[in-house]
Order: sequence, then C-alpha cells, then structure tokens
Amino acid sequence: MTAGSVFRIGLLRLTDAAPLIVAQECGYFAAEGIEVALSVEPSWANIADKLCYGLLDGAMLLPPLALALRFGLSGSAGPEKIIVPAALSLNGNTVTLSKRWSTAIAGGDTASLGELSAVETAQRFATVLRRSREKPHLAVVHTFSTHNLLLRYWLATAGIDPDRDVTFSVVPPAQTVEAMAANRIDGFCAGAPWGEVAARAGLGHAVATSHAIWNNGTEKVFAVRQVLADQSPSRLQAALRALLRAAGYCDMPANAQAVAALLSQEKYLDLPAEILQTSLPGAASRRSGGSFANADESVFFANAANFPWRSHAQWFLREMTRWGYLGVDADLATATAIFRPELYAQAARSLGLAVPAAGVKSEGQHSGPWLLPASPAPIAMGPDSFLDGARFDPAP
Amino acid sequence: MAGYLKVLVADSNAERAALLEERLREISDAVIRRVPTGGSLLDAVAAEIPDVVIVDMARPDRDALDDLRRVSTDNPRPVVMFVDRDDRAFMEDAIAAGVSSYNVVGAAFPDVKPIVMAAVVIFRKYQQLATDLHQARTSLMERETIDHAKALLMKERNVDEPQAYRWLRRKAMNESKRIAVVAAELLGSAKPEGAQE
Repeated sequence: MTAGSVFRIGLLRLTDAAPLIVAQECGYFAAEGIEVALSVEPSWANIADKLCYGLLDGAMLLPPLALALRFGLSGSAGPEKIIVPAALSLNGNTVTLSKRWSTAIAGGDTASLGELSAVETAQRFATVLRRSREKPHLAVVHTFSTHNLLLRYWLATAGIDPDRDVTFSVVPPAQTVEAMAANRIDGFCAGAPWGEVAARAGLGHAVATSHAIWNNGTEKVFAVRQVLADQSPSRLQAALRALLRAAGYCDMPANAQAVAALLSQEKYLDLPAEILQTSLPGAASRRSGGSFANADESVFFANAANFPWRSHAQWFLREMTRWGYLGVDADLATATAIFRPELYAQAARSLGLAVPAAGVKSEGQHSGPWLLPASPAPIAMGPDSFLDGARFDPAP
Repeated sequence: MAGYLKVLVADSNAERAALLEERLREISDAVIRRVPTGGSLLDAVAAEIPDVVIVDMARPDRDALDDLRRVSTDNPRPVVMFVDRDDRAFMEDAIAAGVSSYNVVGAAFPDVKPIVMAAVVIFRKYQQLATDLHQARTSLMERETIDHAKALLMKERNVDEPQAYRWLRRKAMNESKRIAVVAAELLGSAKPEGAQE
C-alpha cells in the first residue's frame, strides 16, 4: 500500500466483525483521513492468502490462524510476514449440539441447560458418550481457530479425547446450521450468530460458550502485513485509532440496535438485525427474563479487549502444541512476537486510553472483577478463569 | 492410470469448469474430475484422491482443505497449497483471479505448474468478463438515473433537456460529485410519485 491509496481490509460474515464495519460506516476511518475498502471474504483461507500476497493490507483473523501462518501451516504461507497490532473482540462463540445430544445432556428438558455449568455439560456429554458408543461428528470453522481449541479444551476437561471419542471436521460458519439440519454434523463450535440461528430453527442448543470455557479470551484479532507497519506507520496508527474508537462505540449496549442494523445490511452479514443483537454487548439484559442464551456476548472494548496479549498468543500456541499441530521443537517465542502490543500502545496513548503495563498477564487467576496495572490509570477487568480452574502463567 | 496426474476441478461456475477441463485436456494427459454442483469439496477429495485440486476461491468450504494439510493416520496424503516461491507475481495473479490450487506432497512441480497456469488464465478471463458486465450494467443504470433526473427537472422547473442537463452538470462540478450521483440524490429527495401535497 502506498501513501494516499486505499487501505484494503478483509472480513468474514460474523457479528464480531462489528468494529471494522462500524469504523467504515460511521466514518471513524474517514475521520482519521484514511480511505478504507472493506472486502467480505468467503473463507479464512482467502483472507490468509490475500494478506500474504498483498491483495489485502489488513483483516480480521483468528489468532491461532495468524500464528499458524508464521509456521507455514496454513494458506499459501506467502512471503509476507503478518503481524497483530490489536485485538478485535473477546468471547462470542457457542458449542451447539443437536437436539438429540443436547436433550440427552439436559436429561430430557433442554430448558434446564441454562442451569448447568460448562463443566457439568461436558461431564454429562462424557457420560452420554460412554453409554451410546457412538462417535458424534463435531464441526469447527477452521483447524487453526479459537473454536477448535476451545471445543477441544471443553471436551478434554471431562476426559473426552477429541481425536478418539468424537470426529472433527471443518465446516464454514454460515454452513453449520444447514449441515446440522441435514444430519451431517451432531454439533459445532462457531461464532455468533450461528448458535442462535440453529436454536431458532429448533435444531439444537448451546451447551457451552467461549466465555464459560475461558472468561474473556481473545477471539478475533486485527492482522496486517508487516510491510505496512514498516512503510506506512502513520497510516497504520490512523487505522488503529479508528478501530479503537469504533470498538468503544460497539461496546455500548445503547448502540447495539444501531450496530446490528449496520451489520444486517445485504453487503455485510445479510441476516436479521434482531438475531445479530443476541451476541452484541448488553444482550443478557435484552433477553426476556430467565430465557436461555444460545449466543455468547462479545466484548469489543472493555477488559482491555483490544490489547494484543502475548500471553494469549502463548496460550493458543500451547494448545496448538497439545493437539499436535505444532512440534514440540517449534520456535514459540518467534511466533509470539507477531503480537505487537507496542503498536497498540501508541494508538491507545494518542487517544488518551490507559495502556497495560506489561505485554503478558497470567490467566485463570481472577474469577471476578479486578484491576489491571496500567498507565496512566489501572484498567477495570473482568474474570479470566478457565472452566477447569486451571492457571496459565506466561513466559515473560 | 499410474503416471498420469489426476486433477480435481472444484468450480461452482459450470461453464468455466467445462472450459478449464477442455483446456487441460489439450495441454496434458491429466485425468480430470469435477466436484459435482452443490457437492462437498472434502467428499470429492476423499472419493477421487486427486494429485491436484483446482479450487474456485469463492467457495467457502476451501477452509476445510487446510485440515487436509495435516499428516495423520486418517489422511496419509498430505495436501499443500501450490506455491511457486520463485514466481511471486504468478501467485498474486492466481489469487487476484480467484483461483487457488492444492497438490499432494510429492506431485512433481513441473507437471503441476502448467495446470495451475491454465486455470489462472481461464479464471482471469472470466473475471474480466464479469467486470465488463458489471461496468456495462452500472453505466446503463447511471444513464437511466440521469434521464429520470432530467425529466423531473424539466417537469418541475419547466426547463428544456439541455438546461436540465447543464443544471445537473453544474451541481456535480460544484460539489465534486459524479453527475449520476447528483441525479440519484435529486431523485432520492424528490417526493414519491403520486404523493399527496
């Protein structure tokens, strides 16, 4: 990208693309003096290839996929180095099982699923599996996705071996519901709104959310080509400022209706705004009393959501190693270094936002609100627990 | 069929797929198979066990191919994306044209490249046709919009056609907009036909 040209950003039809769509539609990019062209892509592989070969300058990306690119594990592993200067969202996925399996887990009445913790649903799933001697077919949206790693974590918590007791396949998010309707899959882990869409079609129920598996883990990141950071640092900063402001807008429950309306347009998600609202901030308070959630609320700005935590990169890398996607001798430190908190910090400081004091934090240490050391003032944080109570201490 | 490459073409555009198949038959002895319309890419790969897969990048199920890249007991034939590291421009052309290719590890690179090149040429040609068609449609729609705006001005302001056009052109120049945009705005702000005063 040369100065003055259009900044091309790729995204997928997902609710957590909201900060990018809002930055474009509400003029945050324009206010920063950059012209952006959003490109709705059909697959993560397209986004990865186009980033690597310079047909996109930036994109929303799955953090494990950004890391996999570093190892040449995915896409064309093209010549360009991809970096992560900011995160876009936390939480937002559901583990949705078909009516048959979710009814078995609930012990008959799926309305009671809302009273079960994610550990309990996993344990009951394990019990049902032992009795049925069947291998349910589960789908994730990409091998190198948060969805795959979180679903495997949930299964393993109850002693279910993801590589032996169930079968896995990759199904694009927009095709998960159709695949479930055709009985090709028994469950899936996907981002909003697909869990909600499946539930409304009477096909299945959410049995866990990404928030319940790992409170406030990074879900999507904003990835750009390294060459952009090197050659047009001021334009990258302009884009980051616009994204941070748009993220703040998206995070306010009062704006959910407007955000959903923007996203629902034909050129973006092309889905009813009312369904999209079920995973936007404030969704819990909009649901009628006691009704069951088939969506997981995204966090776009609170809890230092946009900070590209190197410790989150380390956690994803550890899980990728755990399931055999990376060899034990893989150079994890170099991969972690594609997360660039200092680029985030520059943009945040120029907007007067507090910046975390360190690039890493331990996970699983807080089960409630806490204060993150930051400059100039601490940042109010939400919990960071894992469903099994584990703790993850990052390398410095 | 030992010795011949088996090529699986996964293209949702049946006409383009047929053209590609024809072209590939001309340039190679490869065995060509097509993913049936509406069929699953992964099922076709499992059934055909091709050496090369030519994939329309508009297919959302291309992500499933990344899963095949892993070597596992279920999947003894690891698939990699075709990458010509010495010819970056060629790879950019392919991605820009909307076609990607995967091949089984071990398929001879010199045999695969001409197949991918043929696919890129055909995809690029189709993309050009699509762009031309889009532009033709856009300019036709723009001309209609301008005609409607002129008609509205002629009726409302009691001016002739050249005057109406000059008015639109002046406004476009003053506002640094295209005439079609000014025309569309004028029509958008006008009362719907038949609206009561």
